[in-house]
Amino acid sequence: MKDRLETRAWAFLFQPETDRWLSILRIGLGLQLALYCLTLRPDWLALYAGDGSGLISRDLAEAILDLRSFFIPRLGWLVVSGSLVHLSEGTVLYLVWACLLGASVCLIAGLFCRPAAIVAWFLYLAAAKSGNLFSYGVDNFTVIGLFYLMIAPLPDRWALDWKRSPRSSALPARLGFHLRVLQIHLCVIYFFGGISKATGGSWWNGTSIWRALSGPPFDLVPLHLLISLRVLLPLAGVLVCLLETGYPIFIWWRKTRTLWFCSVIGMHLAIGITMGLYLFSLVMIILNLAAFGPSLRWRGRQGGVRPDPEGAAIVFDQSPADRHSNPA
Amino acid sequence: MTARHRRIYLSCFVSHFLLILLAATQDLVSILSEGENIFPPAFVRVWRQADIITSTALGNRLPDANPVRQVLTAYLHDAGIESGYGFFAPNVPNSYKLVFEVRYRDGRIEYELPEVAGSAAGIRVVALLDNIESMRYELLRRTTLKMLSFAIWREHPDATAIRAVFGRVTQPPIEGFLQGKQETYEFTSAYEFSFPSPGERQTAP
Repeated sequence: MKDRLETRAWAFLFQPETDRWLSILRIGLGLQLALYCLTLRPDWLALYAGDGSGLISRDLAEAILDLRSFFIPRLGWLVVSGSLVHLSEGTVLYLVWACLLGASVCLIAGLFCRPAAIVAWFLYLAAAKSGNLFSYGVDNFTVIGLFYLMIAPLPDRWALDWKRSPRSSALPARLGFHLRVLQIHLCVIYFFGGISKATGGSWWNGTSIWRALSGPPFDLVPLHLLISLRVLLPLAGVLVCLLETGYPIFIWWRKTRTLWFCSVIGMHLAIGITMGLYLFSLVMIILNLAAFGPSLRWRGRQGGVRPDPEGAAIVFDQSPADRHSNPA
Repeated sequence: MTARHRRIYLSCFVSHFLLILLAATQDLVSILSEGENIFPPAFVRVWRQADIITSTALGNRLPDANPVRQVLTAYLHDAGIESGYGFFAPNVPNSYKLVFEVRYRDGRIEYELPEVAGSAAGIRVVALLDNIESMRYELLRRTTLKMLSFAIWREHPDATAIRAVFGRVTQPPIEGFLQGKQETYEFTSAYEFSFPSPGERQTAP
C-alpha cells in the first residue's frame, strides 16, 4: 500500500511535461514586467527616491525592511553601490528602471533567458520591497512568478536562446516537477483566498461585490448600471467564493477543468475591466495560463506523442488528471 | 533524473510548501481573530492561539537578530510567499482619504490631495493609504504623514504649516444608495507640520 502510494506520488510530481508552460510563463511575465515599467515610468522617482524628492523616502520603507531581515534585496544596496562610482541616486534608479525594461524585453524574446530571469526577479523584488508601503497583491504574485521562472529549466524551445544554440532539452520529468510546483501553489492561493472570503458574511449577500465596485478609485462601472444588476450581486459574491475555494479540486478533474479555468480567467478579466486592476489581473491570468493552459483539452484536439528535435519522444497533451483525478 | 535527485527535489518541495501553508494559515487565522466573520465570537480565542502557533513556526517570535529568523524571513520574501492570500477578506474594507490643508501666513488655506502622474501609481497610493490606516506604531504613522506633507510643501514653499487630515470613506449599502444616501467621510486623525519659511534651509524630514 505504502509503495503504491509512493509510486503514485512520484508519478504525480515528476510527470513528464513539455516546455510549453514555461514559454507561456516566460513571455507572459516579460510582458507583465514591461507594462509595470512603462506604466510607472512617470512616477518612478516619486515612488522610490530616498533623498526627499519623492512622496515617501525610500529610507523609511527600507528601515521597516531591516526590522524583518537584513538579507531582503532592496534598491538601497544598488544606490550605495552606485555612489561608489559617483552615480547619483536618480541615475541609479533610472538605470534600475532601464535594466528591468531590458530584462523584460529579453524574457519576451527568450534572449539570455536565465540571466534575464535572475535580473528581473532581483530588481523587481528590490523595487517591491523598497516601495513596500506602496505595495499590493500584484507585487506578491509577480515575485512568485519570477521566482519560479528563475529556477525553472530555461531556455524553452520557443526562446531565441534555443534557436541560437540548440541543446538537449531539459528532462521532461524536471519540467513536470516545476510545473507541479506552480500548479499546487496556485491551488493554495485560490483555496486560502476563497476560504478567507467565505468566512465574511458580506460575500454571501452581495455587499462585498457592491463595495468593491462602488468604492473609489475602483468605481469604474457606472453606479446606475450596478444598481440595475443588483439582483445578480449576491450570486456574483457566492460564485467568487465557490470558484476560489473549489479551485484545488475542480481544476484537476478533467470534466470540470476547462469550465473552472475559463471561469477563473473570466473572473480576473472582470476584475481588470471593472476595477482597473489591470496588472493584477494580467499576472493572475499569466500564472493560470502557464499552470493549466497547456493541459486543457479543447474539442478536436488529441493527446499524443511527438518526436523532439533531439530524437527523444516527448509526451504532450496528457494531463496529470487523466491518470490522477486528485493530487492527493 | 536519478532517485537521489528526486529526493533532493522532494525535500525542497516539502519545505517550500510547508512555509507557504504556514504563511497562508497565519494570514487566515489572523483575519479570523479580528472578528467580523461568520464564526461565533467564542472562536476568537482559538484563532488567536492558532495565530501564535503559526507565527512561532515561521520564526516571527524569535529575537530580531536571530540568524534563523533572518534567513527564513529573507527566503519568504524572496519567494514572494511571506504573506497570505486574504485579499478583500473577510469583507471588502473601507477606503481612506488623505487631505492636506495648506496654510499660509496671511491666513489663506488651500486643500491638496497626494498626487501622482499615472493611474498605475494611483493604485499604489491607495495601497499606501490602506497601509497608513493599519499602522499601529504611532511614530511610524506620524513620520509617514510628515513625509507626504513635505512632498506637498515642496509644491507650496510659501506655506507656513500643513495639516494632514486622514479619514475613512464609507460607501452606503445599495439600499441606502437607492434612498439617496451618499458616501460619508469620517475623520480619524490629523497631524500638523510646520516647515521652514522661505529663505531658511530646506531639508527633508
